[in-house]
Amino acid sequence: MSAIELRGIVKRYPPREPGLLPQELLRGVDLSVRRGEFVAVEGKSGSGKSTLLHLLGGLDRTFEGEARVLGCDLRAVSDAELSALRHTQIGFIFQSFNLLPALTALENVLLPDFFGDGLPDAERRALEALDRVGLAEKGRARPAALSGGERQRVAIARALVARPPLLLADEPTGNLDAQTGEGVIALFRELHREGMTLLIVTHEARVSHAASRVLVLREGRLQSEGAEAMETE
Amino acid sequence: MRIAKLIRLARGNLLRELGPLAVSASGVALGTGCLVFFLALGAGLDAVVNEVFPVSTREVEVVVPQLAIGNLLGEQKLDDAAVARLRAVRGVAAAYPKQQLRIPAVTRYNGLFFGRDIHMGLEVVATGLMPELVGADARMPFEDAGEGQPIPVVVNRRLLELYNKVFAPQRNLPRLSESMLIGFQIPVELGRSFIAARTLPDAQQTSMQVVGFSERATLAGVSMPLAAIQRINRKFGVEDRTYSSVLLRAQSTDDVTEVAAAVKKLGLEIDDTERRYAVQISAAVELVTLALSLLAALITGLAAVNTMQTFYASVRERIREIGVLRAVGATRGDVAAVVLVEAAAAGLAGGVLGVALARIAALLLDRLARTGLPDFPFKPRTFFAFHAGHLALGIGVALLAALLGAFLPARAAARLDPAKALTES
Repeated sequence: MSAIELRGIVKRYPPREPGLLPQELLRGVDLSVRRGEFVAVEGKSGSGKSTLLHLLGGLDRTFEGEARVLGCDLRAVSDAELSALRHTQIGFIFQSFNLLPALTALENVLLPDFFGDGLPDAERRALEALDRVGLAEKGRARPAALSGGERQRVAIARALVARPPLLLADEPTGNLDAQTGEGVIALFRELHREGMTLLIVTHEARVSHAASRVLVLREGRLQSEGAEAMETE
Repeated sequence: MRIAKLIRLARGNLLRELGPLAVSASGVALGTGCLVFFLALGAGLDAVVNEVFPVSTREVEVVVPQLAIGNLLGEQKLDDAAVARLRAVRGVAAAYPKQQLRIPAVTRYNGLFFGRDIHMGLEVVATGLMPELVGADARMPFEDAGEGQPIPVVVNRRLLELYNKVFAPQRNLPRLSESMLIGFQIPVELGRSFIAARTLPDAQQTSMQVVGFSERATLAGVSMPLAAIQRINRKFGVEDRTYSSVLLRAQSTDDVTEVAAAVKKLGLEIDDTERRYAVQISAAVELVTLALSLLAALITGLAAVNTMQTFYASVRERIREIGVLRAVGATRGDVAAVVLVEAAAAGLAGGVLGVALARIAALLLDRLARTGLPDFPFKPRTFFAFHAGHLALGIGVALLAALLGAFLPARAAARLDPAKALTES
């Protein structure tokens, strides 16, 4: 069963100057990701990797083509239904962490609990998520008091707290040193083993090596890397 | 999203934006403070007017029209038959006839007056009232004890106030209280006038005894039992069967208009001089209060505009954070609610501060009035009347101003494209 199904996705941006043609960043993207698969998407800077991720997360609906994520037709559902999908079904991880500076690490992890119907047993889940990323002792710390690696781990804990079946990550190791990055990749492997579907946008080979399938976004289209996927085991 | 979680989420941002939000809250506080201050001042002044002109909304004073043709021909009069007709008017609960002392009378006082040696002569103006009208205001019996006995009198409290605040200081006389004067006797000479310089043939010496203070008593002189006035008028051979006025008490305030119309149909008139004064002054106070309240509303409106600017700036600074909220499942409504809760907190703080400022300003002004203004009649202990409604209104207006101010920024935040917001640098 597919976790992600994209057919002929076209994404245009308005022209930068009057008189110019619209920029076509995605030019008919087709993608099928099975549940439990770990997919890495590579591509040069500005190739549309983040745009693709936002589109998959229902954050951007101004595109052409068909997109189904976890059985949900992204263009057919309401904004509130998309919010509900992101709330419990999709976890996001960003390159720049995107923690709320006014909240503590624990409150940042608890952020999904503030919306919708909240999360069952949220406090315990948040502590467990922090423990899983090795930050059980840092719950009361504000982001400003954490290192870059710790911030990203808090962001991962936030993405995991709702126990979503799909994790979307945008250059998750881009701002981390090698050792911290390895720790994050190891965690992704672990999540993959547990059955979670992961789609990670990256330009780092070490992340791609962990994935079961590697795709390249080139000239607005997704192409198979051709390389054999490395088993995570 | 539950309100407790919303507050928890907004709290962090409130602390982070404390400076700009404090400025916004101060503006709201100034506006609502002014509003509460002026409303309390208006209510306080209205209370003073009610004290100076205590008008019952259930009562009307009936008199004979001065320019009525029937009156010129001697047909229109307030006798017992007229009083009976008035009592029969629909909606009338009671009728209390009054009669003026229709002969001259003077009082002459030579001797010690509460520690001061005075020599004083005054014309006495008196009105007869039914004892039921004075009721418990009389501390001693307010009934005619017959010729040769002191005539009980009740004095209007406002007269005592005027004596204490104007007459006594000017003449270096002692200030008096009600309890000092109850039982006090003053000699009176019936049938004599200092002004007209004449004495009636049966002029007689007697005395008046103060038995109480009442708002029912005439402001121009003293009030005696109706029976005593009728006896004296009769003794001196002047008209004692007609009344100078009749006080009608309606069954309810709603009946007053109907009663007044019926009185006019009977060819009589309503003397509403004092009521008119009270209404005119109250209207003036209300008008000034309204004007000042509008000024306060304008200040509050400006504060709302300032709040709007603050929250627009806050939303601009938090675009990426708003994108994150959307990414973890916040709906547009949730994002707007977060901004509005922050605004409500600022408004609430502004409202409470404004009410406190109004209270402090009123206390300072009252203190200034107590020490800086001369003692004048009916000088109130306070010029302000803070009602719970004023305080609730002040806080409510502050909340409303902050929420209105933050409405557009909240809408703008809710409408942000989450994908663009997340890429905002």
